[in-house]
Amino acid sequence: MSAADAVTVEAGAPARGWVLPLIAAALVAGMLGYLQTAELDSIEARLLATDEILARTVEHVRLVAVSTIAVIAIAVPLGVLLTRRRARLLAPPVLGLANAGQAIPSIGVLVLLAILFDVGFTMAVIALVAYAVLPVLRNTMVGLRQVDRSVIDAGRGMGMSPLQVLMKIELPLAVPVMIAGIRVALILNVGVATLATYTNAGGLGSLIESGIVFNRMPVLMTGSVLTIALALMVDWLAGLAERFLRPRGL
Amino acid sequence: MTDPTASPPPPEVMIRLEGLVKRYPGQSTDAVSKLSMDIRRGEFVVFVGPSGCGKTTTLRMINRLVEPTSGRIWIDGEDVTDVDPDRLRRRIGYVIQQIGLIPHMTIAQNIGLVPKLLGWDKARIRDRVDELLELVGLDPAAFRDRYPKQLSGGQQQRVGVARALAGDPPVMLMDEPFGAIDPITRDRLQEEFLKLQERIRKTIVFVTHDIDEALKLGDRIAIFGEGSRLEQFATPLEILSEPANDYVRSFVGAGTGIRRLGLLRIADIPGGAPEPAGRGAVRLTEDQTVHAALEEMLQAGADEVVVASADGRGERSLTMRDLLLAAARAKGEAR
Repeated sequence: MSAADAVTVEAGAPARGWVLPLIAAALVAGMLGYLQTAELDSIEARLLATDEILARTVEHVRLVAVSTIAVIAIAVPLGVLLTRRRARLLAPPVLGLANAGQAIPSIGVLVLLAILFDVGFTMAVIALVAYAVLPVLRNTMVGLRQVDRSVIDAGRGMGMSPLQVLMKIELPLAVPVMIAGIRVALILNVGVATLATYTNAGGLGSLIESGIVFNRMPVLMTGSVLTIALALMVDWLAGLAERFLRPRGL
Repeated sequence: MTDPTASPPPPEVMIRLEGLVKRYPGQSTDAVSKLSMDIRRGEFVVFVGPSGCGKTTTLRMINRLVEPTSGRIWIDGEDVTDVDPDRLRRRIGYVIQQIGLIPHMTIAQNIGLVPKLLGWDKARIRDRVDELLELVGLDPAAFRDRYPKQLSGGQQQRVGVARALAGDPPVMLMDEPFGAIDPITRDRLQEEFLKLQERIRKTIVFVTHDIDEALKLGDRIAIFGEGSRLEQFATPLEILSEPANDYVRSFVGAGTGIRRLGLLRIADIPGGAPEPAGRGAVRLTEDQTVHAALEEMLQAGADEVVVASADGRGERSLTMRDLLLAAARAKGEAR
């Protein structure tokens, strides 16, 4: 696997740094303005009450946050493990599994989980994690493998233990590539979390779904616009994190 | 592997390699086979040989970055064949061709790495870092807080040397440290490093494939042949004047007589008239090489050189004939 396998999101130049949040804000403002002036019927008014919208948004953010944290908690240690020399042979099958996780449509996973086990928040998180593990796992591995061997050799030669080399040399130097992977996972999760409504876990997807089921355009639109705005904001924040967490001196 | 009956080498031996073997799994021949040698305290030993002769593998077995398949390693009277390798390495300086400075750490953090591992307190580490930067000719105030990529290759390797010296290890291992540096800077670093070694007197094992670098730097040179066979282990002068076999002769190459002149100091040449002739002769000092003296004389068209002793008090004069005859007779004495 080479560095070319790493997924990346093009880092925004500082000048463009404010474009994403401005677009997001404009979208939300435009939508709110429209809702103020539009004549809503009773179904629309119920679904688009401020409390409702806020609750759906919070649900969505929670799904994204919990699943992304779970993805990091699984994929980063796994990536570290699979790049150790002794575990090299395990890498292809595990990567294959992660590939399958991303290849299988999340909606299928959700429905299967719902049929086999239960509905709810946990099932939604499992489906999201299965979908988003790959980019973080792959970027962790690529990030660790692209660390200059001579720097590791020098560290070992000076008497750093393998754990010290990992914590003080390998991981810090892999951070930029790892964060790029986490950023991709976050954006994937914001999108895929709209499907959580099918396992009764709420989120902005339920606005979209209700909009379709009740044939209410304002509801459908609100759900979509908020999802887009959220994705833009998350990407922007992740981009900031990428810039600030990048080790100095690189 | 530890044999309690084995007796440690005498105190003047800093590194003893005893029947060292390395065979990589799945290979039919040894990368290093049955290698034994003693390296004395404060000695600068250069391993030289073609690629794949096992010189780097041997070097890396001394600090156990490569674990020997069999054999024994003694350092400073201690059998280190089975001690904790991480602790062992903190007592051995290590410099590599690729330098390997840690890019996200400042120069001070890079140099302070081993002291930190050894548990020194912050003030002591800071003082040590500044001392070492001075030692390798870099201004501490200007370089301490920079990152490696802000330095030139030559500056980076100075930091690499400073970093290896940080824990004041008795032994330094250097794997082609100047190999990737441009020729002019390399020459200067070699000169500086020789001067540095005169002050710090470390036991140094230095790997290179460049015989001229070996002749210039080493107190003794170990010439490796195929399969880590030690073809000759002797002083530069001995190697030039009495090559052990055809392999050494061809490895050293042509012009050994002339090259010997660069190894002899004027101080090695006996005799000379006590009274300086004073006829516009070339003036040099005892620590310069015979090669330099002859060069100066040829340039100036002079037949005589006036040599000032190192302390600047005495003087003597030597003729070109004195120098050439003495050089022709000089066989193998350590320089």
